[in-house]
Amino acid sequence: MMRLFKGLLIPGCVLGLWQWLVLIQYVKSESLSYPSAIAAAAIGVIQDGTLLVAAAQTFSGAFSGWLLGATLGIVMGIAFGLSQTLSHLMKITVETVRPIPSVALIPLALLIYGYGVLLETSVVAFSCFWPLLIVTESAVRGIEPRLIEVSRMLNFNLFDRVTKIILPAALPRIFVGMRLAAAVALVVSVTVEITANPMGLGYALIVAQESMRADRMFAFIGWIGLIGWSLNTALLNIQYRWFGKMGFWEEQV
Amino acid sequence: MNTTTHNPLLCVESLNFKVNDLEILRDINLSINDKEFVCIVGASGCGKTTLLRMMAGLLSPTRGHVSYRGQQVVGPHREIAVVFQDYAKALLPWRTVAGNVSLALEGCDVPAVERPQRIHDLLCKVGLEDRAEAFPVQLSGGMQQRLQIARCLAQSPQLLLMDEPFGALDAMTRQTLQDEVTRLCRDSGVTVVFITHDLEEAIYLGDRVISMEKMPGKIGETLVIDLPRPRDQLTTRENTKFLAYRHQLFKLLPSGH
Amino acid sequence: MSKLDNPSHSWFFSILVFLGFLGLWQVVATAELISPVFFPAPQKCFVTLYEQMNQPEFWQAFWQTISRMIVGFSVASLCGVTLGAIIGLSPRVRIYIEPTFELIRPLPASAIIPVFVLLMGLNDSMIVAVILFSSLWPVLLNTVHGFKTVEPRLLEVAQILHLSQMEVIFKIALPNAMPDIFAGLRLSLTVSLILAVVAEMLAGTTGLGQNITLAARSFRSADLYAGIMVLGVVGYVTNTALAKVEHHVLRWRAV
Repeated sequence: MMRLFKGLLIPGCVLGLWQWLVLIQYVKSESLSYPSAIAAAAIGVIQDGTLLVAAAQTFSGAFSGWLLGATLGIVMGIAFGLSQTLSHLMKITVETVRPIPSVALIPLALLIYGYGVLLETSVVAFSCFWPLLIVTESAVRGIEPRLIEVSRMLNFNLFDRVTKIILPAALPRIFVGMRLAAAVALVVSVTVEITANPMGLGYALIVAQESMRADRMFAFIGWIGLIGWSLNTALLNIQYRWFGKMGFWEEQV
Repeated sequence: MNTTTHNPLLCVESLNFKVNDLEILRDINLSINDKEFVCIVGASGCGKTTLLRMMAGLLSPTRGHVSYRGQQVVGPHREIAVVFQDYAKALLPWRTVAGNVSLALEGCDVPAVERPQRIHDLLCKVGLEDRAEAFPVQLSGGMQQRLQIARCLAQSPQLLLMDEPFGALDAMTRQTLQDEVTRLCRDSGVTVVFITHDLEEAIYLGDRVISMEKMPGKIGETLVIDLPRPRDQLTTRENTKFLAYRHQLFKLLPSGH
Repeated sequence: MSKLDNPSHSWFFSILVFLGFLGLWQVVATAELISPVFFPAPQKCFVTLYEQMNQPEFWQAFWQTISRMIVGFSVASLCGVTLGAIIGLSPRVRIYIEPTFELIRPLPASAIIPVFVLLMGLNDSMIVAVILFSSLWPVLLNTVHGFKTVEPRLLEVAQILHLSQMEVIFKIALPNAMPDIFAGLRLSLTVSLILAVVAEMLAGTTGLGQNITLAARSFRSADLYAGIMVLGVVGYVTNTALAKVEHHVLRWRAV
């Protein structure tokens, strides 16, 4: 209990000081607003529906991009993991394309798809692809060789080998990769909305900033943070529930 | 081996240790004399490691005290060195073999110009002089433990506390190191307290073997080992007195060992 | 797979594959199977890039972006490591500060840009401030983690060897934290490049980010692709440079 109190002490003091400085008119409230107004705005954006709409838009772009990028990454990762030849042949190509920052592709995606969900999906997919490719390849390579031998002894064809041995064995690490990619997906889609796409939470942020509504701006920032935190916590819980029992070691985030 | 009983190097008096109402050690009394090689044996969990950590000054007793050269031990003493069982965790992975030995010299404020020579001498003593630039992870378990011993000797200690140092090593490495440690300690005149759960190792190495009972940890019997030195892995272990001691200790410890 | 066991052979064939993809791209683009507005031929892109590099405006934009990124990253790294060391070494400080970290951690770095825009306007210092603020967190958090997870056995060894407080920090805690610090630095470097580009796009100031935004707006796809390539090279070079430093400092890990 004491620990909780100590932990909340600093944020509490900062908020308190901020509120007080504005109340005594020491700091002008227009530029940065103040905690009580922000809290009111945080509730306001639920009530007028903007939060839900914006969140749904961000979510659609982030989720579709995450699904697409992760799936492609996993498939390629399995292929690379199973075939050293393929991995070596593709190395230069991968190392040339991977360093491109996903944000650099926003103008290109805008050119091709225009405004809308596809703009986000494409950029998010690009950014989710690489971590899953790397994690999956590494996970497949790292599979206990004994298990591979077992699959050979049982005369499995490729499909069976992948679905019954490779995927299940690599799944814990792949899941961790997907969890981290989910966080990336959220960040990238918000970034796409801030820079280009007129929809979603990022755009709501920009709108609030441009109309000098600092209270709404901070409210949205708070909501974005909360959504990110909840997403990660939920996925962590699933991870422990599904994989904790298999004696799977936990990676520190 | 002459043992002077008048001015013991290390004294443990009425030592008690409790953690949350659980009694770990009860009424421990013992003394270690200069240049003695004392082995402490006991079943797992009897508190021998706890006792050793108190001698090292890493842990404080709830009652009673440990005194070194007549002074109460309240923290690690410069003349006391500790060899831990988990050698991998006790070595700095980012420093070379030479660098790890150097750490002890740095702690003793040995001038930088003197260090290379002393490091070289110490590494020669433990047989690691040609691995000076290797990193600990490149060494085998036995070599890593030798490195830890070299670092402890770099402190120029008077008392060496060893906590099951060979427990994680294979039998052959263990035998080699047993003889090496005996030789090193005799050459440098160091007093040794050696903890092990291996009865034969204790008899082979020690001048005295103290057995501990568990739940709570108490001193059981003390055996004075009257075997000729230098000891030999083959002949000493077949000596009738050795076997008698072994028989005695075996009966003392509840589950064998 | 005998041809690929030899490392230099492996590189050679890998380059061949890459050139093969380039060739495929060239064919598809020239035959206009996909509209050249979206998919210009690589040859055209390279020519455009070459032309760009012959103009001073390109280098102006280039140095603007790079300098903001490097300045922001360097200052953030220095502050992050120092602060991280102080916080990581002190359990008492951590109790008060770590929960605040947990509140900040899930925030996307780009989400704080509007705050800085409100505070500082749309200019160069805003961009550097944004980069600094966002690059700080990965280094800081990782450094804290590195300093607080020192092997307890090593701390006991330090006690027994009578190492001074300074010696413990510099000879034990810092080397122990190095792998974590470098992991944080790598993340921060990536973040600093991304935020440099994003902030430029928003602020409309000179830079590589602005270049590609303008190119897209005027449908100059070859310039756009050229600009993307430049950013890819910047990402690659900076990451490789950092990786080399890391490899040298952490050479005890490679053995």
